[in-house]
Amino acid sequence: MELRYFIIRRLLLLIPTLIGLTVIVFVLMWSLPHAFLASAFVNPKAPNRAQQLQDAYAQLGLNQGIVLGYLHYLVNTFTGHWGYMTLSNPIHYDGPVLSGISLFFPNTIQLVIFAAILSILISIPLGTYIGSRPNSAADHIGRIFSLSFYAIPVFVLGVILQVLFGKGVIGGNPLGLFPISGTFSTTAVNLLNPPSWLVSGAGGIVLSEPTHLIIFDSLIHGDFPLAANALMHVVLPVITLTLSLLAGILRFLRSSMVDASNSEYIKTARAKGVPEKTVIKLHMRRNALIPTVTVLGLLFAFLLGGVVLVEDIFGYPGIGLLALSAILSGSIYGVLGTTFLFGIILVVANLFVDVVYSILDPRIRY
Amino acid sequence: MVEEIGSAGYEKTLPRRRAKRLDNAKSTFRLFIKNRTALIGMIITIAYFVIAVIDYIDPRWLGVENLSTALLFVPGHLANSELPTPPNFSGSWWYYFGTTYSRIPILPVMLGALKYDLTYTVIIVFIGMSVGVIIGSMAGFYGGILDEVVMRITDIFFSLPFFVFALAIVYVLGFSFQNVVIALIIVWWPTYARLTRGLALETKSLKYIEAAKASGASGVKTLFSHIIPNVLSPVYVQISLDLGSVIQIFAGIFFLIGALGSSSFPLEIGYLLSAGLPYLSIGIWWPVIVPALFLLLFTVSVNLMGDGLRDVLDPKLRR
Amino acid sequence: MYSIQNSEDKPKENEKKETYLKVENLVTNFYTSRGIVKALDKVSFSINKGEIFGLVGESGCGKSVTALSIMDLVTDPPGRVVSGKVIIDGFNIFSDVKDLARIKVKSETDVKIKKNKRAIKRHNLMLSKIRGKKIGMVFQEPSLALNPVLRAGDQIIENIMLHNRVAIADSLINRANLSMNDVDELIKDIQANRNEMGTILNAWCKKNALADIEAQLLSIFRNYNDTKDIETEIVTLIKEGLETVDTNALIEARNYYEYIEELQSLNLSRYNSSENITEETLRDIEGRIKSLQNTEGSKYRSYKIKKIFTGKRVEKIFRQEARRRAKEILTLVNLSDPERILSAYPHELSGGMQQRVMIAIALASDPKLLIADEATTALDVTTQAQILKLIKNLNQYVGASILFITHDLAVIAEMCNKVAVMYAGNIVEEGFVLEIFDKPKHPYTVGLLGAIPSPQVKSSEGLKLKTIKGSVPNLITPPTGCRFHPRCDFAMPICSQSKPKLININDNRKVACFLYSTEVDA
Repeated sequence: MELRYFIIRRLLLLIPTLIGLTVIVFVLMWSLPHAFLASAFVNPKAPNRAQQLQDAYAQLGLNQGIVLGYLHYLVNTFTGHWGYMTLSNPIHYDGPVLSGISLFFPNTIQLVIFAAILSILISIPLGTYIGSRPNSAADHIGRIFSLSFYAIPVFVLGVILQVLFGKGVIGGNPLGLFPISGTFSTTAVNLLNPPSWLVSGAGGIVLSEPTHLIIFDSLIHGDFPLAANALMHVVLPVITLTLSLLAGILRFLRSSMVDASNSEYIKTARAKGVPEKTVIKLHMRRNALIPTVTVLGLLFAFLLGGVVLVEDIFGYPGIGLLALSAILSGSIYGVLGTTFLFGIILVVANLFVDVVYSILDPRIRY
Repeated sequence: MVEEIGSAGYEKTLPRRRAKRLDNAKSTFRLFIKNRTALIGMIITIAYFVIAVIDYIDPRWLGVENLSTALLFVPGHLANSELPTPPNFSGSWWYYFGTTYSRIPILPVMLGALKYDLTYTVIIVFIGMSVGVIIGSMAGFYGGILDEVVMRITDIFFSLPFFVFALAIVYVLGFSFQNVVIALIIVWWPTYARLTRGLALETKSLKYIEAAKASGASGVKTLFSHIIPNVLSPVYVQISLDLGSVIQIFAGIFFLIGALGSSSFPLEIGYLLSAGLPYLSIGIWWPVIVPALFLLLFTVSVNLMGDGLRDVLDPKLRR
Repeated sequence: MYSIQNSEDKPKENEKKETYLKVENLVTNFYTSRGIVKALDKVSFSINKGEIFGLVGESGCGKSVTALSIMDLVTDPPGRVVSGKVIIDGFNIFSDVKDLARIKVKSETDVKIKKNKRAIKRHNLMLSKIRGKKIGMVFQEPSLALNPVLRAGDQIIENIMLHNRVAIADSLINRANLSMNDVDELIKDIQANRNEMGTILNAWCKKNALADIEAQLLSIFRNYNDTKDIETEIVTLIKEGLETVDTNALIEARNYYEYIEELQSLNLSRYNSSENITEETLRDIEGRIKSLQNTEGSKYRSYKIKKIFTGKRVEKIFRQEARRRAKEILTLVNLSDPERILSAYPHELSGGMQQRVMIAIALASDPKLLIADEATTALDVTTQAQILKLIKNLNQYVGASILFITHDLAVIAEMCNKVAVMYAGNIVEEGFVLEIFDKPKHPYTVGLLGAIPSPQVKSSEGLKLKTIKGSVPNLITPPTGCRFHPRCDFAMPICSQSKPKLININDNRKVACFLYSTEVDA
């Protein structure tokens, strides 16, 4: 079957998956006391609270049974009514859930994309090299490396990196170059005359226009010192995530390469006179990438979990930290909203992985 | 040659089968031992469990009774004699890995925490596995609507990242050891379901299943005595790998939100680690690094063991 | 390109046959954790040009290992070709086999192999010129032997692009230079004399060096009648893709590739220096290489840089031409609708088609030896018959010799001129097929054929399989002396002490057995 049809079909599959996602989040929500759900839905500081609560009950369909309640939930989600949250620890935010999330969302995406791209760029050539030389010195080093970084819990790795390379953690540490919290330092900005594109958002967050990502916005506006400073802030969290993901990919890529190298078609390729480099790069690697890609979805799920931990350790204001704050502050809609968003990210990532898989493997385009 | 085979007859092979399985296990074990790293992994893992068992039998051997982790993290100033001491391998073994404020020794506290961590991890993995294996192999074996439904449900569960999902469930249920265990079981069973479903599908079409059916074995009996034993090999591998993954997530949850809930401080490695973080700013690294190393050593060993298992069991599967 | 032989070109029956492949005392071992498997124990045989040579024996006797060893494709680790010669078209690919690794044997299970990386790299470089070009190989399971993620066409084209750059460039230039007059003349000739289509076309193609599209031209003439139509079709076929390319660029590319190929062949001959080549000749070759590099090298240094910018277009044209040739090859292996096959993935093809594609891949660069390792064992009987017929036809039309490996005696009887019988890593008998089947000499062959060994009694029972007592030996601890002696009904005391040598007992028969000679293999 054509690749195009496969992609379209896969996109269609997105819909039931998303619906399933909403079902799960809804189940989590509905199991809490309804009164609590209503009161948490509205702004506690708004006037005429009684009226607000009544409206909330109606909007959430709290008295209409589970099925209608679910439909109400669906409608609310797709119209952007995700509730209200009051966060205090460690992020201070007071406002609608959806707008709060959209404030912090770009930062997390920045982390995730940097880590993903870096991991893939490093793991593929490295994995090819190691996988084509089983039991060599390079292979053993590679296996030790990938096992260690795969087995270290992400938060342990983050803390260790923070201790070793963080500025100001251990006094007089010559390697302590990288900032350990936030997305940029206030010292890099002229506080008396801040640039116009740096705005104060709700909850004391500093937002930059237009992309909300300080690195890119400062590049766009030509403020290179600030861009460099923002970049430094992002280094340690990204490296933590990258090392974890990289180790996972490397493990699978290496073993797939070894499996591929024992196949009959490699013999055919050599029998044709194909030079060894091409045998490795074209014949072995193309086939080894296929089982590796299938595991990428799973590794990405672990990566998203790691994001929450890393954002906590490095005080990085993204939706991971937001989710944590929601839990610690007891804000139900914050928790539900961030969980839902994480689910969407994962679903999209899985879609992407599936499409890549179908491009690589012509056998499954049914 | 040909004349010799065939005269033995089928009747003779039946009682051999059980003996053969034991033989199989023995030779598998012997092959496993040849892999030195896997062997080391297994020994270390067993050592961890031995410590936990000793702790159950009599905590006094490890000196962990009467320790309140509430005293672990005490900001502010204390008299000199109360200050933390660095790791010190001479003297009492309690102080091998240093102490924190009020001279609380880290090593015994950690060993105590280990008991809980390991127990809960094992519970999570085994219950998750049991549920997952049964549901998955039923789905694969019976096929049809059951299969479709199970596939859809596992798909839904897989659309949420493990950690985030577990956190959300813990929030809804309330924070306690038991609820974290429940949350992780809920998050983890689909992995086993998917794994066994695929394998059950493959095994289903093997010839000897058809033979068993033809000789009148009922569905359930076939399921339990033929399908599941075959499916178990990769499950063993998955279990040892999962011991590592689950303990990581478990500790991660406590690292993040361990201070939540009532005034009791959880005896858990992740939480110990987070409690040690404030010490870093004054250059005292051992409250953080020591729990980290314990955790790291466990996950590495368990992974080595799992890899070794996979190497040993895999060619047998591929036949 | 594919030297499709006409009846006039076939060698006369009594012309001396030339040897294309000579295997001499080939020893291959597998160094496993349980011991050293002595898979090949000084195997020797040779194959002449145009011959179909069979290699037969039970499973585990070493037939496949022989085939792999000839191309040095044995899985390493644990296998290695340890010593011996494999001379292909005069070139011994194992001339440096001793330099490749140092093997220290302390005991059966304690072996240390230290490899010389640089020598191995040189060795592999040399091999990549021989494999695919001088020998092609077809494997047993085509569904596994084809790369599942590449299209069938691409796998054939890969072979063509590796070994035929100059020829491709040549034919491109010829096609570019072809004038309409030539085409019109051809059409006129054929229209006048449709019965002689084949011969006229053949001559014309030879004259214009366009043999690679001969079959496609033939099919055009067969399918179209109108002169205008034929003209358009031929022009499309010939001029396709050439509009965008500058002929000078083509000529430059061609010269470059010719330079490369000359360098390669000179290097090859220098590499082969341990074979009967004197110091003088060696120095002569090195001198020629140096002078070549000096005179032409400078020219091509700038070409290499230019290639980065303009190379894409030339490369595209080359690939198109290679695609054309791939279509030609597919027609040769009797696949209809070559266009569809070229863009198909292996899993979209049936078993028979896959195997034909494998054969096409093997023959793509016109090697004069095709090794078929159990090529039909995995196919159903009808497809097997078709493939066998195809292989036989290819042997006739293309003139390639075939090394046919199988355990199926019936196939041997049908296909081969000569056959060698293998047992436990040794060749025990070799000769013409009919003669061996009629009068087998070695006790193993006899057992295999189920006939009574006696010079007087004619075997009147035909081909029956009977079991031979005992079982195939363990090649880690093979039997002493003659490896067959424990199972042999005619074993004598000497059989367990010394190994019989494979010698000629008459003009066309070799046997390794003390029943027929007393020569001992050292």
